[in-house]
Amino acid sequence: MKYKFLISALLLAGLWSCQPEINEFEPSKGNADFTTYMTAGNSLTAGYADNALYKSAQENSFSKMLAEQMEYVGRTGSFNIPYINTEDGVGASNGVLFTKLKMGFTQDCLGTTSLGPVRANPNATQQELAVLLGTSVADQGPFHNIGVPGAKVTHLLAPGYATLNPFYGRFASAAGNAVIDEIANVKPTFFTLWIGNNDVLTYAIAGGSADQITPLDGAPGVGFGASLEAILMTFKATATGGAIANIPNITDIPYFTTVPHNPIALTEQGQVDQLNAAYAQYNGAMEQFGLEYRINFALGANAMVMHDPSIGVPTGYEALQIRQIKANELVLLSIPQDSIKCAFWGTQKPVPGTFVLDEKEIMDIDEAVAGYNLAIKAAADNYDLAHVDMNAVMKKGSSGGFVMDGVVFTNAFVTGNAFSTDGVHLTPQGNAVAANTFIDAINKKYNASIPKVNVAQYNAVVLP
Amino acid sequence: MRLQSNRSTGMGLTGTGLQMGASSMFFNPGALSMMETKMDFSAGLSGIISKISFQSTGQNLVSETDNKLGTPFYVYGAGKINEKWAVGLAIYTPYGSSAKWEDDWAGRLLIQNIALQAIFIQPTISYKITEKLGIGAGLVYTTGSVKLQKGLNYGPDSYVELDGSASGIGFNLGAFYVASEKLSLGVNYRSEMTMDVSGGDAKFNVPFSLGTTIPAENKFSASLPLPGNLDFGVSYQATEKLLLAAEVNWVMWGTYESLEFDFEEKGELLNSVNPRQYKDTFIPRIGAEYQLNEMFTLRAGAYYDPSPTNEDYFTPETVSLDNLAFTLGVSIYPTERLSIDLSYLQIFGLEAEKNYQPDNFGGTYKSAAFIPGFGLSYRF
Repeated sequence: MKYKFLISALLLAGLWSCQPEINEFEPSKGNADFTTYMTAGNSLTAGYADNALYKSAQENSFSKMLAEQMEYVGRTGSFNIPYINTEDGVGASNGVLFTKLKMGFTQDCLGTTSLGPVRANPNATQQELAVLLGTSVADQGPFHNIGVPGAKVTHLLAPGYATLNPFYGRFASAAGNAVIDEIANVKPTFFTLWIGNNDVLTYAIAGGSADQITPLDGAPGVGFGASLEAILMTFKATATGGAIANIPNITDIPYFTTVPHNPIALTEQGQVDQLNAAYAQYNGAMEQFGLEYRINFALGANAMVMHDPSIGVPTGYEALQIRQIKANELVLLSIPQDSIKCAFWGTQKPVPGTFVLDEKEIMDIDEAVAGYNLAIKAAADNYDLAHVDMNAVMKKGSSGGFVMDGVVFTNAFVTGNAFSTDGVHLTPQGNAVAANTFIDAINKKYNASIPKVNVAQYNAVVLP
Repeated sequence: MRLQSNRSTGMGLTGTGLQMGASSMFFNPGALSMMETKMDFSAGLSGIISKISFQSTGQNLVSETDNKLGTPFYVYGAGKINEKWAVGLAIYTPYGSSAKWEDDWAGRLLIQNIALQAIFIQPTISYKITEKLGIGAGLVYTTGSVKLQKGLNYGPDSYVELDGSASGIGFNLGAFYVASEKLSLGVNYRSEMTMDVSGGDAKFNVPFSLGTTIPAENKFSASLPLPGNLDFGVSYQATEKLLLAAEVNWVMWGTYESLEFDFEEKGELLNSVNPRQYKDTFIPRIGAEYQLNEMFTLRAGAYYDPSPTNEDYFTPETVSLDNLAFTLGVSIYPTERLSIDLSYLQIFGLEAEKNYQPDNFGGTYKSAAFIPGFGLSYRF
């Protein structure tokens, strides 16, 4: 009798030994209907990264992560993405096409080899890239991700935008469509929208020298607020819920924070004296004009000299429209480093203003972003949507950083894990943070439990 | 884990207040001089089948460990020199843990797999002061090894592997008092030992382009504390056949404040201080032994082993939850001199939400261990 007890006790113990079960998290859709999810926006939504659109980056977009996580809370059917058939990618800037950036070794003008972004295929021709970008995938639609690289809020409303922007042209269901016309083809029950970055970023990336910041006010297609509302109303035709994300402070991204204003390191008094002698005449002239500008060099780190056409010199003295860059001004990542190192940019030659955001430009940009974010918050409230505070995440990243699952995120270029090699777009890990930020906001708004993604399971910048 | 005698394991891992024969060298060297026979040899082995489950906060997927079988063992030999003195040698493995997570699991940047092992070698001497009081002491030499792998955030194939060994010296003191024919008391102190790993091998598997920043082959040093223990035990012969035991172990984990790794090269970049902030714990144990007949002795026991970890510094490298455990055991005596000792221990690591704040890595953990044990004792 007692042995029987012992044997059954041992058997019972054997059953207990199975894997300990945890059921702490139960996915739940809450008050939302995630059956058909659709996402609109710009390059971030599309999955553009490393300065180009390429397939694996599209697969690592926060939008696709959201779609996958929503499968646990009722999303059904496929999530169609207008994939581009290339891993080297196609990017575009001012009408020039290129392949993506990746980390590689480059030799600078001084013969020093270092690790930095290089083109995946520097020999790709404009023609072959144009074919890749121009190949229509519209027959694979309708698409659930209609993010269009380069698009501003106003562009999404523009009929015929397909002919202006090949990143839309390649998947537009009809050439005359506006991007928002794609929404009716999908009839989403839930949507996310993250738009507005380019309304100020395009201007900022041009160093404030080209493009215009979209005004806050104005009719749909002109002003930010009304355009945003027009997009939301289109979604709301079928969607019962959605989320809208605000815009991170553009001037905190690595594209603007990586290159210091004062990279000129002077170690010998001889160099200092020579430069100061060369600018003595400039300083004298400025004094004569009653202008406060002075150029001075000293041992140590020195601010670069830049071209600034806003300096009010008398006609004929335009050559003196130069000054040193201020500590609170931002030098763009696109500035050619070799020109600083070997072609005397910043010392003997002024840096073109297109590579610098000056105080006024920064103020205009920050003001625009603040205005857009107020409009986005108001729209979230008016249309009863989840408000996704991406700007708060960006602020955490730029003020000391934050950690998730052992990954340290900052706004540092490459090493900060969040931003890809172009200093603007996100890495897969950065996308995972964005996806989780969306999920937090959606869960809160709709009392849902969409499971989050694990950021450590995605890549940061890939090193050779 | 004190799987140092299958008799003890069957009785809730008690032993400090029990006359354990040669096993007393671990549980209470003071009891050795009160051994009932002239010579006592004992050896045994346990198999630890353990599993840990983890679910990240706000996530639905559950990660599970695939731990390899742990095999703590003990070998004891002791004998009486005369009426007063007894000596012996004990070899045992009171500390050891291993956890093997999937390489790409949610906490891969904290730990992927770890194995800690330590073998204690303890020559022991015990003296019977009076018929009722025995004292004993052992000098403990420990040799151990640590091997761990953790992911690095340079891609899915990036990781560091640390492999080092260390040794330490400590002692084991005990006093055993036979208060009456029925009641015995014991106290035992085992000193803390710090296992200083120096010159351990560190292998960094990182992208080629980082080769000059992070050398592939490096040496590391680290200190792993094995905590001191102060145990108080009591046993009571309730009836001729039924023996009851109870005890409390004070485990002095409080000295484990941080785990620090120092590297020989590129230390400024690679060195790390990882807070642990453990606290002392008290483990209550109860056990019972029932002599069924001349052939069979049955045992059962239970204990509660609270987690020594800090709420903010709970890492998946050593998942130490509040543990509730139940034990069973049986000894079979083919002859009076020989016993075959079987034990079974089932540990439930109680589900709890924990966080490692420096890495912002948190979630729900739950664990279980299933530990059958087998031993032989021969005395004459």
